[in-house]
Amino acid sequence: MNIRIFLNLMLGGFLAVGGAPAAHAADKDTLVIALDTLGAQVMDPIMDTRAPHAHYHAPVWDSLVGFDLEKGGIGPGVAERWEVAADGKSWTFYLRKSLRFHNGDPVTARDVKFSLERKMSPESIASGAAALRRAVDRIEVVDDLTVRVHTKGVIPYFAASLSRAVFMEGSVMPKKYIETVGAKGFREKPIGSGPWKFVRSVPGDRIEYEAVDYPHWRGTPQFKRLTLLLVPEQSTRLAMVRTGEATIGSIGPEAIKEARVGGMKIVSVPGTMQAVYQFWGLYRPEAKGSPLADVRVREALSLAIDRQQIVDHVMGKQAQWPMPFATFRYSSDMSIPRWDDWARTALRYDPARARQLLAEAGHGGGFKLTFWNTALPGTPFMVQIGEAVAGFWEKIGVKVEVKTTEWGAFDPMTRGEQKALVGTASMYRTAGRPEPAPRYIGSFNSKGVQHLLGDPQNCPAICQDADRAYEAVVSERDDAKRAAAANRMIELVAKSWIAVPIIEGMGYWAVNPKGVGFFKPIPGRHEFGDVTERMPRPEQRPWP
Amino acid sequence: MQRYILRRLLQGALLLFIVALVVFALARVSGNPIDLLVREDATAEDRAHLQKALGLDRPMHEQLYIFLTGAVRGDLGQSIRYRRSAAEVFFERLPNTLKLLPLAMAGALAIAIPLGVLAAVYRGTLVDRLAGGLAVLGIATPQFWLGIVLIYVFSIQLGVLPSARMGGPSHYVLPAVTLGVFLLAGMMRLVRSSLLEVMGSEFVKLARLKGLSQTIVIWKHCLRNALIPVVTLFGVYFALLVTGAIVTETVFAWPGVGRLTYEAVIFRDYPLLQAVILLKAVIVLSVNLVVDILYAYLDPRVRYA
Repeated sequence: MNIRIFLNLMLGGFLAVGGAPAAHAADKDTLVIALDTLGAQVMDPIMDTRAPHAHYHAPVWDSLVGFDLEKGGIGPGVAERWEVAADGKSWTFYLRKSLRFHNGDPVTARDVKFSLERKMSPESIASGAAALRRAVDRIEVVDDLTVRVHTKGVIPYFAASLSRAVFMEGSVMPKKYIETVGAKGFREKPIGSGPWKFVRSVPGDRIEYEAVDYPHWRGTPQFKRLTLLLVPEQSTRLAMVRTGEATIGSIGPEAIKEARVGGMKIVSVPGTMQAVYQFWGLYRPEAKGSPLADVRVREALSLAIDRQQIVDHVMGKQAQWPMPFATFRYSSDMSIPRWDDWARTALRYDPARARQLLAEAGHGGGFKLTFWNTALPGTPFMVQIGEAVAGFWEKIGVKVEVKTTEWGAFDPMTRGEQKALVGTASMYRTAGRPEPAPRYIGSFNSKGVQHLLGDPQNCPAICQDADRAYEAVVSERDDAKRAAAANRMIELVAKSWIAVPIIEGMGYWAVNPKGVGFFKPIPGRHEFGDVTERMPRPEQRPWP
Repeated sequence: MQRYILRRLLQGALLLFIVALVVFALARVSGNPIDLLVREDATAEDRAHLQKALGLDRPMHEQLYIFLTGAVRGDLGQSIRYRRSAAEVFFERLPNTLKLLPLAMAGALAIAIPLGVLAAVYRGTLVDRLAGGLAVLGIATPQFWLGIVLIYVFSIQLGVLPSARMGGPSHYVLPAVTLGVFLLAGMMRLVRSSLLEVMGSEFVKLARLKGLSQTIVIWKHCLRNALIPVVTLFGVYFALLVTGAIVTETVFAWPGVGRLTYEAVIFRDYPLLQAVILLKAVIVLSVNLVVDILYAYLDPRVRYA
């Protein structure tokens, strides 16, 4: 048994027994959040590459495009509104008036231009730097509060890529300040225009902030201070929330029961990820004789899975029925009710029909299937889901050879010709993001990273259809027509049964109700970097 | 003595060179850090850019040359994860571990020496058996389990001590006890066995014949000789725990170098891992040198050999 799992079980069991309140609780004016990671803990938006920066950058820096706080997906940010030109090749962003950086300097279009250019600079290792370089032709300051970005083509999702709903490319940094103090000085004493001011960063331990003393458009913090603690061990995070040393702690689904028994509240963030399984290289000549090349077999494998069992028992009821591949109930450019209905029916548990389809395909006696069971960073429970999926497949007669593989060993196999994966299945994950198209190009386009339907040398009819469907989506400027094209793209993939959703995962947090009042997370955004400013004190809004 | 120290220094330099080569090779076997840095839908171009930005696109022999020549100058490269000097990151965390270790070690010694002496003097009695049982318990108890039990009892149930993190004096208690129990058990057993060996020596018999009291014989004559292997073990434990207190530092969210080593491995931060292991090797060699000098001081036969 993995040390970490054992440790979790041990303290989890203890926590269920009860105990006395601790004398080391955080003071009432400080909101303390215990996190499993603080990423690179570098206070510069161009120097971290993955999601943890949405925990610790978001309090300080506003994003050009923000969130739809209720539904998830994108909404107003530093830019109150934006519009795309008639030819689809330039985007004009209109900034909020009277926004100020923490040193009092006004936020202007020049700061936005500077920030985007800094994100694209050679020294930037930000996750979307390369994508921005590919997308942006030039940036024009129209006036103090208007900035226009000229793109290299029609990019319908350009605004979304500047929102923390997707990644961090839209962080607005202070041009004048950085030019004065230099990059090093900026990292040591960073300022932004967010609702929290940076105070101190203790490497490997914590980052401290204090609330701005003026009303903020994202919400004026109800606490005077915010501290993000790095507490790598889940059991310790639970103990800290229980004793009041931390107000909120990130947890995995396996810790939910124990947290509840210990008197903590659970906040679940819907739509943060989708666990999927997918088949690799079935278009290649060497996979021609594989049972998996028959679409009936692939559909049968989906019908064999009892997703409700996985939601109830593997995920402790803290997961949702999935939508089609890489889509969520907050996704844009698609018909949510239609695909919700489709998912309820098509992704049902029907082992009798599964056996029938296998028999029709000539595999009634079962067949051998190699299944790579792996978990992407941050979602270790994928391995347990994979084990459940393999068990369901065994029940309809498929002899599953499960290869449980560490992500670091599996990931390199997914690139290039993918020779080791041809004709096999694997677990995978899609992150929660508002638009499905960027994920579809990576997985299904013949030039995409995963090219599950075909590559430029072997692109069968379905691969060519997928390429055309994607082009139709990303070249369409009319919203209604683009939604129709996206629906066609989603349908093509859904009916291929090549990449199949299993469950829609959530982000989980244990909360001490005596330390913070009731609050709602932003759907699809696991991190609380954009939520802390709206968290009330416990007496302001008690927990139901 | 000077020639002895010089010889040990030269041996140490050679050992460091070998460690550098091995760690350089092993770090790269564990995988590519780019896999953990790029987002899931990253293109080959995204990967290539990041690889270039981090200097990982250079041929392996060039990376090795840069690492070795840099190491000679004291530059151990930039941490991939933190984008800062790897040595700077290490030395930033080292004081946190060094604050914890002396407490754990002093506490362990303060209990282990009297307990070991009692067990040896009262060999075969209930005292010896109790001390032996305590030692077995200390060695057999997993540190992470002990840490959790301590958190449960003292933080959750009694609410008298904080459950984790660095802070005021009360924050040191639980992690120091967790580390100390592990050290105590081994040291106590060593004091006992070493003392028993010394107590059978001719010079001890002579001391008794001279009419010296039991207290003088044991505490002055026997213990000084019995402590030689304890000092050696103490040095080894210290060097081990400088980067080896991973479990304790993780359970108690202690930002020390043990956890830093773990993070460097998990994030495939080659330069940081290289720096941590190389600097740890320097610490181990230095501690060993100090121990050997102490050993020579405690045992004149070593000095004249």
